Amino acid sequence: MTGKPLLVLDRINSFYGPVQVHFDLSLTVPEKAIVCLLGGNASGKSTTMKTILGLKTPQSGHVLLEGRDITGAPTAEIVRAGISVVPEARRLFGEMTVRENLLMGAYVRADKAAIAEDYDRVLELFPRLRERLRQKAGTMSGGEQQMVAMARALMGRPKLICMDEPTMGLSPLFVDRVLELIATVNKTGVSVLMVEQNASMALRIADYGYVLQSGRIALEGPARDLLADPRIRTAYLGETIE
Amino acid sequence: MESLLSLPWFDFTISGVVIGSIYALMAVGLALIFGVANLINFAHGSVFTVGSYIGWTCAVALGLPLWATVLVVAAAGGIVGALIELLAIRPLNHQSRIAPLLATIGVGLILDQIVHIIFGANPRALPVSLPNLRFSIGSGTIGAIDITIFVTGVISALALYLFLFHSKLGMAVRATAQDGDAARQMGVGINAINMTVFGIAGALGAIAGLLVGIYYNSIDPNASFEIMLKGMVAIVIGGMSNVPGAIGGGLILGLIESYGIALFGASYRDLFAFAVLLLMLLLRPNGLFARAHAREAEPMTGTFVTRAKPVRIPAWALVAGAVLIALVPALGQPYLTQVMTNALLYALAAMSLTLVAGTLGLISIGHAALLAVGAYASALLTMAGLPVALGLVLAAAITAVLGAALTYPAFRLRGHYVAIGTLAIGEIVALVILNWTSLTHGSMGLYGIPPLELFGIPLFSTNASYWFVLALVIVFALLQMRLLSSHLGRTWRAIREDTIAAETYGVASNYYKGLAFGFAGFVAGISGAVSAHQFSYINYDTFNLLTSVLILTIVILGGLGNVTGAIVAAIIVAGLPEVFRTLAEYRMLFYGMALLLLIRFRPQGLMGSD
Ligand SMILES: Nc1ncnc2c1ncn2[C@@H]1O[C@H](COP(=O)(O)OP(=O)(O)O)[C@@H](O)[C@H]1O
Ligand SMILES: [Mg+2]
Repeated sequence: MTGKPLLVLDRINSFYGPVQVHFDLSLTVPEKAIVCLLGGNASGKSTTMKTILGLKTPQSGHVLLEGRDITGAPTAEIVRAGISVVPEARRLFGEMTVRENLLMGAYVRADKAAIAEDYDRVLELFPRLRERLRQKAGTMSGGEQQMVAMARALMGRPKLICMDEPTMGLSPLFVDRVLELIATVNKTGVSVLMVEQNASMALRIADYGYVLQSGRIALEGPARDLLADPRIRTAYLGETIE
Repeated sequence: MESLLSLPWFDFTISGVVIGSIYALMAVGLALIFGVANLINFAHGSVFTVGSYIGWTCAVALGLPLWATVLVVAAAGGIVGALIELLAIRPLNHQSRIAPLLATIGVGLILDQIVHIIFGANPRALPVSLPNLRFSIGSGTIGAIDITIFVTGVISALALYLFLFHSKLGMAVRATAQDGDAARQMGVGINAINMTVFGIAGALGAIAGLLVGIYYNSIDPNASFEIMLKGMVAIVIGGMSNVPGAIGGGLILGLIESYGIALFGASYRDLFAFAVLLLMLLLRPNGLFARAHAREAEPMTGTFVTRAKPVRIPAWALVAGAVLIALVPALGQPYLTQVMTNALLYALAAMSLTLVAGTLGLISIGHAALLAVGAYASALLTMAGLPVALGLVLAAAITAVLGAALTYPAFRLRGHYVAIGTLAIGEIVALVILNWTSLTHGSMGLYGIPPLELFGIPLFSTNASYWFVLALVIVFALLQMRLLSSHLGRTWRAIREDTIAAETYGVASNYYKGLAFGFAGFVAGISGAVSAHQFSYINYDTFNLLTSVLILTIVILGGLGNVTGAIVAAIIVAGLPEVFRTLAEYRMLFYGMALLLLIRFRPQGLMGSD
């Protein structure tokens, strides 16, 4: 893998009550890269996101951002340090306007002038949203909502965006469009950690991929290699990788 | 018709709007808190009372002008609200969601007691000099007080609007109310938001207290509960977390009350509120203004604690305990025996509630109503000439039937709504007792209830009645334990864990809930009936909210669902304060603290829950 490591998960073990969800989970997101975390239902993908954001403290192991230990730190601090999120199912504030949703993305920031700058920049990236600023986010189509969610994440001026199943529930046409957008966002210099069930789609734009199975990394490698790997298929049929 | 039309409708409308705007002030705070913290703040009425007394201190004791009084009251109310969040709610962050609701009941009792200690238990006047203006409009008039209250309400609403829609913190409050998890992921500090919302609610509630005091020129240290209920009815009308809806709900309730009083008389005032509440819960639980696609309130099971394995006590120890308790009269202390009799009557009531709240998972805050039904039934029957033994049994049977029938509307409710619904049902029972004068003698109460006796054998000596009550406790405890380990008990627990799943397996949950309330009603009815014969006098207030809270505290202390626990806890909670006189004097403080500390440090109770 190339590039300086931006985010490192180091041997994470986490539990819900007595049930262990992660077993020595380690992964690295390099600067400016798109990394894809693949896994079936209930394999622990969303819990990985929660762990990164400090919403869930692992029993052992560390989360490092640019070498700094942020394990279990308050979410506000982690967001301020440069990690934004596109949550599972987007989770927009449906009763609030698009504009307000974007501003919520910058909630932890106090630099008014820079926020205004980012606001313009984000709207340039997503011109569709400019006409919809006063519309309630909940009334938009799935694809548009995904744009708002991404724009909202960018408003935090992040170094890394964590996306939890960004293509979930979108029509095939929109899936392509969203993947394009992710690539565009990435080109602005932001790293992306993308959690997906949809392997072949996600790997097409990713640099590197991990396959998570029942809380363990079962397979990893450059996206190109994984795409060609027949075992990826097996993983998605729920069979164990030898 | 003629006479109806000639009523001063304009004046009734004005007073409806004025009282309604006070309800709206209360309701807005409740709605904000419900939205952000998913919690019904039962301490909200006490903040109102605190506000009225701080208002009295400023306006009367210190002689401050009205505008300064309003500002001080708002600031103080805000601080009280924020402190409630910090001290009582925040530590419960990781407990299940009904825990903070119970904590706010404890906080309310404590605040009320503090007001009692400082200012005494009697109402006092709150004279505020306002310009002596009256505007005549048609046949009606509007006074300076009406205008002051309405304008203060409007200014508060405007300030709230500006905060919510034109400040960053306000935006975060709205975001959190819509989706707390998503807000957290944006880096919103939920504690700060909760505290903000409690602070705002406190400020508005305290202002409402001041305004009511000015309106009636009277403040009352016992007003908390009633006004809290009014606010709650308003948010149920408005749709729980809907802030504009809460304002609408408050005004609607104010008008309904005002017109209702015009038509039926003032003694029915509270009945309108609760009738509206029940109707709303049953017909439009999402409120009048809910949109079709409104997010359904998240279901919340009645289970509110991490369950701990119940402490198994060997049979010989239970027998030894029963023998020891039976020997209490041998100590030769009649006062102690009386206290213990009373504690055992509470044990019966607690056994009844622990079945409903613990085993079945329906946290009821209106359990005193069952005691009242039993007490009145037995008192009336025996005063009409029936033997006491028959009166007791019939009263218990009547309570069983009424208990199941009255709570039937609450069966389809869940979580917080059960708490609200049972509370409303309990209040309605009290109001019916108060207003059904021909049967119950209304506020006079019933005098000269025959003393305890069974088939001609007198049981009214201190020791005899003690043993009689103890025998009842033992019999019903054994019966209840037997039921719990039967198929019936397993079905009840299955309904508690997951009503919907239980129903998909073919369990007719309403039938089983009815059985539970029937049994619980029988036991509670006996407890109330025996109390009536013990006291020889009862009135509508003998079994009130404090009784309900006390029983609930006992049940939690004993461990939800735990029969032995309920008995032990009843002896501790209902017995202890009477033995120590100072505790009895500050009873509400004691109960409030007990409830608060329990939920914080030992939510699974002394003996574990099952
Ligand atoms: N809050 C929670 N409490 C208990 N168990 C949970 C919780 N969240 C997730 N789990 C469990 O942890 C496992 C992993 O969940 P998750 O990380 O959401 O998986 P994924 O996102 O890959 O579908 C699942 O078995 C799930 O049931
Ligand atoms: Mg997931």
